[in-house]
Amino acid sequence: MLACHDLVLRYRNATRPAVGGVSLAVNAGELVCVTGPNGSGKSTLLRGMLGLLHSERGTATIDDKDVCQWEPANLAAAVGVVPQREEITFPLRVRETVLLGRYARLGPLGAVGLEDRAAVERALIRCDVAQFADRRVDQLSGGEWQRVRVARALAGEPRALVLDEPTMSLDVRHEMEMFELVRELADQGLAALIITHGLNLAARFADRILLMSDGHTAALGTPAEVLIEPILSRVFQWPVAVTTTPDGAPQVMPLRRPTGAGAI
Amino acid sequence: MVGRTTWCDYPAEARAVPDLGDGIAPNIEAVLGQRPDLVLLYPSGRNAAAAERLRSMGIATVQLRTDLLADVTRVGALLGRLTGREREAAALKARFESALAQATVKQPATVPSVFLLVWAEPPMTVGAGSYLSELLQRGGGRNAYDDLPTSSGQVSIESVVARHPDAILVLGDSTPAFATRPEWQAVAAVRERRFVFASGSQFAHPGPRAPDAIRALARSLVALP
Amino acid sequence: MTRWLGLAVATALVLLLGVALGSVPLRPGDVFDGLIRNTGEAAVIVRELRVPRVLLAFLVGGGLAVSGAALQALVRNPLADPYLLGLSGGAGLGAVLAIAFGGGSPWAVPIAAFAGALIAVALVYRLSVVAGRRLDPLVLLLAGVVVGSFAAALMSAIIALSDAPRLRNAFLWLLGGFSSASWPTLALFAIYAVIPLAVLLLAARGLDLLALGEEPARHLGADVERLRRRIYLAASLLTAASVATCGIIGFVGLVVPHAVRRAWTPMHRVLLPVAFVGGGGFLVLADLVARTVLRPIELPVGVVTALVGVPLFALLLRKSLA
Repeated sequence: MLACHDLVLRYRNATRPAVGGVSLAVNAGELVCVTGPNGSGKSTLLRGMLGLLHSERGTATIDDKDVCQWEPANLAAAVGVVPQREEITFPLRVRETVLLGRYARLGPLGAVGLEDRAAVERALIRCDVAQFADRRVDQLSGGEWQRVRVARALAGEPRALVLDEPTMSLDVRHEMEMFELVRELADQGLAALIITHGLNLAARFADRILLMSDGHTAALGTPAEVLIEPILSRVFQWPVAVTTTPDGAPQVMPLRRPTGAGAI
Repeated sequence: MVGRTTWCDYPAEARAVPDLGDGIAPNIEAVLGQRPDLVLLYPSGRNAAAAERLRSMGIATVQLRTDLLADVTRVGALLGRLTGREREAAALKARFESALAQATVKQPATVPSVFLLVWAEPPMTVGAGSYLSELLQRGGGRNAYDDLPTSSGQVSIESVVARHPDAILVLGDSTPAFATRPEWQAVAAVRERRFVFASGSQFAHPGPRAPDAIRALARSLVALP
Repeated sequence: MTRWLGLAVATALVLLLGVALGSVPLRPGDVFDGLIRNTGEAAVIVRELRVPRVLLAFLVGGGLAVSGAALQALVRNPLADPYLLGLSGGAGLGAVLAIAFGGGSPWAVPIAAFAGALIAVALVYRLSVVAGRRLDPLVLLLAGVVVGSFAAALMSAIIALSDAPRLRNAFLWLLGGFSSASWPTLALFAIYAVIPLAVLLLAARGLDLLALGEEPARHLGADVERLRRRIYLAASLLTAASVATCGIIGFVGLVVPHAVRRAWTPMHRVLLPVAFVGGGGFLVLADLVARTVLRPIELPVGVVTALVGVPLFALLLRKSLA
């Protein structure tokens, strides 16, 4: 569904490409997590795969069609995106915000049909935000607001869902709820792509993990293939230990600096 | 006389006197350059500071209000005293007052009401206590807005309609551009082109030519249909 | 539903009041007679002067409020004003040039003001396209300030250098007013305003997306660049026409959208039409105050909107912070 092949992306006037030849495919029913240190090119890769950046080399495709060939509205109808940051300038109500997710599917003159209303209600329930559908979005907690934004992306009934650090500054419960929700959606057939710093969340929910380092693929495979001590220590430049949870997922534990070696 | 403002254009010889710029907030350097013994200024807020500067440099400076006809003789007498020519000033005053009395229309047959339009976009007029209104009255007319609470102001066209002015005085010498604008057609005097033209600086500020201005107005008013 | 009904009734009342009252006191019977019969002085005052004036004020007020609301969403700043983008400077320069050099045409000042505003719009557009390539809101604002300041400087230079003291009266014209309202002016403005108004109203959903920011808007399917271009041009053209008809009338485009957002909704499908009606009613009332409070003297309507708008805005600001 979402794919890129040998994708090279470079910002204007930059000497080095931000993404230097990455290949990835996210299929329907699959949850893929992209992780890596700050500045390793995760968000840039996402922008390239969504056609916000033009590739210098390689291809980014959606349904095997070059992403830059897509009409903005068709693309939005196919792929739901929850961007990383979003400031609220003019606070709408929750239901109105979710309705914006239908923009690409609305009728002529922006008319809202029965089908649109039904899709909005489904998305509200799906993300467990229906109980405060009439509240203003600037009066929500961080976790509620994130769920509303996922509901907005789902209201358009996309076949793929892309989230850029959706659990940033969320507590444990909301973090888990977010990943449980996306996992469930993927199990129902959505292609899901999440950028995250949560290695352990990725370990437990993702089908595959792309670990990026300096714009390149450091590792790509199942959590058990990617989350191994030598790779992680090298990529993050910090010693880690990898253990296993009772359910069999690898768990990454960063280690304290050995006493006496702290004077670097 | 060693300097004048840009607007001092009468008599014609005045143009030979160096032009020192605007009369409000004058260029102090240009004034000093002429080494005057006495500087005359109009009393406006911005001129008060200039007067203070000039005085502090040891130059006698007087601020003179010259808004109305009565100011002409008052200022004349004052200047006579200041320059030590009181006799000439008195003679001038007598000459001016008799010229004024001669020009003034006594007991006119009818007193047409005139709308004094000093600016058209937006319509601005002047009230009873203005020089133009004084000229009009002496010329045998009546200011259509002599009840204006301020010396000048913007008025609405509908109030002009309701006051039925017999004529409209405009500053200029030909039919003004606004006469063809649709909203002004509501005013009968505009539709029928009953304009009185006031052109030249004798209508703008009081001075020795005021009697000429009054006579010109009187002629125009009599000629009205 | 009751809110829409209330708005309709209030609007009808304001329009009626605007026609019934004026600098000349007329009896209600005379006003009614003047409306339906074709003769007499009341008919001239009511039909030829008051009705077109009230309707023009309504259209201009509505246009300013809609432009303001749209530009605020475009630059994602509730403090944006329709004149922010260099328009007023360009229009002022045009008006001053027309008064300084314009000859006998009775339409010289409005035409020159319109041309000046259009040139300013084009310059701001060019600048922000060259600099940011994508009509970035911040670059747009900066370009507006740059062009506006330059035009204002040119205007001051012309006024200072010109030997016509009457140029100072150009400021009177710029302060705004509807004294030049007439049926032809109204018809011209109405015909002209239909297209930009329609463009803005049809872009309501797109404005909701733009208000979220560029990336979210893109992800939700907005063609951001095209949308921005369309909204910027429509709002500017609408504002330019209103400057040409009645000078610069501040605060309508700022206060009205702000009030509607607070009292009703920030959703543009509702916000834009309500702001249109609210802005129209507000300006009709302001003009009514301008022409009656000191009669026979008329105040510049821009002064009234500022006198009413500033305290109102301060109040709204306090409330929204509380």
